[in-house]
Amino acid sequence: MIKDVLKYSISNLWDRKSRSFLTILSILIGITAIFALISFGQGINKYMNDFGQEMGTDKIFLMPGGGLASSPGTSNIRYTEDDLDFIKKIKGVDEISGMMIVSAKIKFKEYREKYPFVIGMSTDVKDKKLVKEMFAGIEMIEGRELKKGDVLKVTAGYSHTVPNRMFKKRVNVGDKLEINDIKVEVVGFYEEVGSPTDDAQLYMSQEGFKEIFDIEDYEYLYVRAASDQDPTELAERIKEKFRKHRGQRKGEEDFTVQTFEDVMETFTSVISILNGILVLIALISVVVAAVNIANTMYTSILERTKEIGIMKSIGAKNRFILFIFMAESGILGLVGGIIGIIFGYSIAKLGAVIAASAGLSMLRPTFPLWLVIGCLLFAFLVGAISGLFPALQASKLNPVDALRYE
Amino acid sequence: MTAPTIIKIVDVWKTYKMGDVEVHALRGMNFEVKDGEFVAIMGPSGSGKSTAVNMIGALDIPTKGKIYLDRKDISKLSESSLAQIRGRRIGFIFQQFNLIPTLTAKENIMLPMVFQGTPAKKRIARAEKLLKMVDLGDRMDHRPTEMSGGQQQRVAIARSLANDPEVVLADEPTGNLDSKTGNMVMDFLKKLHKEEGKTIIMVTHDANLSKQAQRIDYLRDGIIIKSKKQR
Repeated sequence: MIKDVLKYSISNLWDRKSRSFLTILSILIGITAIFALISFGQGINKYMNDFGQEMGTDKIFLMPGGGLASSPGTSNIRYTEDDLDFIKKIKGVDEISGMMIVSAKIKFKEYREKYPFVIGMSTDVKDKKLVKEMFAGIEMIEGRELKKGDVLKVTAGYSHTVPNRMFKKRVNVGDKLEINDIKVEVVGFYEEVGSPTDDAQLYMSQEGFKEIFDIEDYEYLYVRAASDQDPTELAERIKEKFRKHRGQRKGEEDFTVQTFEDVMETFTSVISILNGILVLIALISVVVAAVNIANTMYTSILERTKEIGIMKSIGAKNRFILFIFMAESGILGLVGGIIGIIFGYSIAKLGAVIAASAGLSMLRPTFPLWLVIGCLLFAFLVGAISGLFPALQASKLNPVDALRYE
Repeated sequence: MTAPTIIKIVDVWKTYKMGDVEVHALRGMNFEVKDGEFVAIMGPSGSGKSTAVNMIGALDIPTKGKIYLDRKDISKLSESSLAQIRGRRIGFIFQQFNLIPTLTAKENIMLPMVFQGTPAKKRIARAEKLLKMVDLGDRMDHRPTEMSGGQQQRVAIARSLANDPEVVLADEPTGNLDSKTGNMVMDFLKKLHKEEGKTIIMVTHDANLSKQAQRIDYLRDGIIIKSKKQR
């Protein structure tokens, strides 16, 4: 019986091709948008999770001001070697390393200068493990890493190896760059992170950084909690002790201590909210599609009133008529869903290619099975539910009136 | 021994409200058909013929009065139970054929069987047999728009027999056909009556057509005023 209803419903939809097509179009737009947006959202979440796993959850950051909300290199609050030593002595701190950061003028040959961030980091062997972990598994793709004794040498982000992204021509190992008019040699390149800011950065030793910028203090401090230490507790302890050390009152600290997990959570939730808002907007188009499906079904029922009367006169029960029309609207939704997913997939893939070419390779959509099934089910349900009221109306038609309808 | 009564209508009233005015389409109609009978109900337009068809065919329930099918009172049944009765026990033939335009001849005939849950294999075999019976073995996969009026009405006759009902109810079956095709359709009805033993109730305003029946009941102003037996 179900098979017969479906066959009958499909042949009806096929007989009204143009209208079915337009109705399907209205729902597939919404599903396309939702599918593409969620696949991007999922992709970013996955990226963050992978990043987090590489980095480990035992890290704690000390940042000036309100944390990640302030731009790097802009704060006038910095931490001295004394601060670093103080924190190092706090119970539960395993390792600590500082990072300097400024935005500097970089010149390569005769090409137009750029202003990426230059980061000064420790090349001390004892800090190396922590620094490496802070890089979350980002590997060198060319040349070598910085080592102790490198002063006027830099390693560079991936964008420097791509023509026209930083400079007109790519930079090679051994090339000279000018940082604030001081020549430095490039010794290696990192693989792509996927964010344009990170991929444009230059890295140098703390000694080199001091020489070029005359800055000795750190902007960020990285701490690794001891293995038996809960990072959240440690972060609280550092905040408390460091506040007293700096002679500040509670709530008026000029620094932020965040565990790596907190940072990830903040970032992920911001992304999720943004993604959620976009999906909500896409949902509006699904609502419009639902109205359109209902409209199509009402029209169809009006046209087929007599047909409904005929079917009732030859033994169709109300629930059969209900089933026919709900199947039709459900099929409209489902087909819209299938095509929407195909379009959404294509758009997401295309979007990823465009994003990657713009240096945003972290915007990589993922297509989990639940998303596909969820979108299909959602599209089907939107269709079926939109068709519910028209179908109920059709099923309750009085057979005598319906037969008389011309 | 006389055949048992299959349909009995006792003092049936049907009243429609048109604004503040009540219109009585049937005013205490009494009517009875025995199993295997061929009865014509004759009346001019406005006499209540259509309403009578609706009552006999379980398409509608009366405002007042009783309708019995095989001694069972069906005058107060739900729409769902009425649908069941229409599907199994009554075959309809309409003046306008009333085939589903999107379905082929065979599919149209299979439809009442779908509603009754007949297995597909059985449905197909029966539909093909019925189509051959009405001489449309070569039109099985044609849609109604691809067939003449006479052919469509023959498909409708075949459809009315799909679930092997006891009663075939024909409402002006030749009204939309030329006389030659009309005669052919009448021949099929007679054949159904004689060879298959079906009870046939035919509603018509055509005196010539009604002569084919065993009995003619005359309907005027919502009641049967006269019943005439023929040879």
